[in-house]
Amino acid sequence: MGEELAPQRVTLPGPFAVGRYARKLEEEMRRRARVSLIGEVTGLSRSKAQAYFELRDAEGAIPCAIWLDDLEKLELPEQGLRDGTEVVIDGGPDYYRGGAQASPSFYFRATHIRLAGEGDLLARLEALRKQLRAEGLFELQGRLPRALLPKTIGVVTAESGAARRDLLAGLERRGWRGTVIWAFAPVQDRHAAPAIAAAIQDLAARPEVEAIVVTRGGGSLADLWAFCDETLCRTVAMLRVPVVSAVGHERDSTLIDDVAAVACSTPTHAAEAAVPLEAAAARVALERSLTVLRRAAGGAVGGRTPHLVSLARGPGRALRRERLALNQKTREMRAASERGVAARLGFQRRLAMVVLDRAARRAAGPEMEHRREALHRAAVALRAHEPERTLERGYALVEGEDGEPLATAAEAGAAEVVKLRFADGRVRARPERDGDA
Amino acid sequence: MAESELDPSATVTPDSYESAVERLEQIIDRLDSGQAGLRETLELCREGRDLVTYCAGELDEVGESLKELRLDELAAKLDQGQLDTD
Repeated sequence: MGEELAPQRVTLPGPFAVGRYARKLEEEMRRRARVSLIGEVTGLSRSKAQAYFELRDAEGAIPCAIWLDDLEKLELPEQGLRDGTEVVIDGGPDYYRGGAQASPSFYFRATHIRLAGEGDLLARLEALRKQLRAEGLFELQGRLPRALLPKTIGVVTAESGAARRDLLAGLERRGWRGTVIWAFAPVQDRHAAPAIAAAIQDLAARPEVEAIVVTRGGGSLADLWAFCDETLCRTVAMLRVPVVSAVGHERDSTLIDDVAAVACSTPTHAAEAAVPLEAAAARVALERSLTVLRRAAGGAVGGRTPHLVSLARGPGRALRRERLALNQKTREMRAASERGVAARLGFQRRLAMVVLDRAARRAAGPEMEHRREALHRAAVALRAHEPERTLERGYALVEGEDGEPLATAAEAGAAEVVKLRFADGRVRARPERDGDA
Repeated sequence: MAESELDPSATVTPDSYESAVERLEQIIDRLDSGQAGLRETLELCREGRDLVTYCAGELDEVGESLKELRLDELAAKLDQGQLDTD
């Protein structure tokens, strides 16, 4: 049983002398296929015989070495091989087994180096673009709400670039004079991408910043390469503040354009995208709104009296009420005729009928606006014929407790209390039941 | 009429220019429809005028003079504990 539980020891080949093994490994490495690699040069240093650097991209890195003899034969441009340069290197893995005094090491032994051309960069860009798109990073910024009229915008650009001047001119043309927070950063060398990413993050951390513009002028794809940096583009994509990118010219397409909320071809366009509202046009629109409001309020005031409102809502109902009022007037007129003023009231009545008729016809018309105008005129005309005018001449109107006119003796007689309405106020009265009414 | 009446609970202090403009457009559409009664018309006109005043104020805020700040200076102030209170 004990034998069964004991771990089974696998018998491996060897033991070999380590030096012999190291030599075998060296041979093995050097036999591996030679390939071309593309990436960015970092940590460049030189010894007496060799140049060392790391070739890296966002996913990883490999230590590289090239014999200085080989490097000189390549005739790279002055300062061609330096940190931050995108290069294509040919070579293969190499293992140095070390010696009595020297430590062993692994390198990718470069035999040829050339600066990456537009084609190389485009191919890399496409691969990266495909990857970020697949991760859904192109849609995140586009979903952020953008302020129509931000009060503060952040701008990442070179301190001395023309882009800065163009952006300011664009904002001026927009009539926008809010607050700009400048975050100046290098826009072209190997420090550019991390510096831009840091500036964007610092701006986004300020609560007053409502939009961030990232801009620089045109250049070759290599010049604009910082704006295709994977880390920078991931930073922009995850930001909660909308980013407006305006990098290079119209034909230039950098990765930051894909992840930003808005991609613009020039700094002037970026100004328009960052401040979508044109102040002058907005003021005109506000004036127009104010005119509409004034007109609406004026129209409503024109029809202020309750019976006119009901006239606007239903001509029929209003007509009935007006007829009641008219009947009242007719009775007043009858009484007046006994006092020899019938002729004048008769004229008033005819006039009131004409006005009322016209008001009703207009009120029934299809367009509310016309209705309101017609009603407004009718209100003015009717006001001249309101009972108040008659009361001012010394007549009194009998009303019930609820203020409704009591048009007949029967109604007045049946009421407990009536109100006698004069031009200057009301007097309460009790009808005598046994009167001659 | 009541069914298409603007929701009175929507009458709130606007929190942004765009929300103010959106509400103003709703109000003008409602007034243009001619469906609003007297009371509603007067209320909408009052609210609309308030919104216009708010929007004009927002425009004024970014209509005076451009202010330029530098992030590095703001950060330095922050480090020194002299937070810009502007």
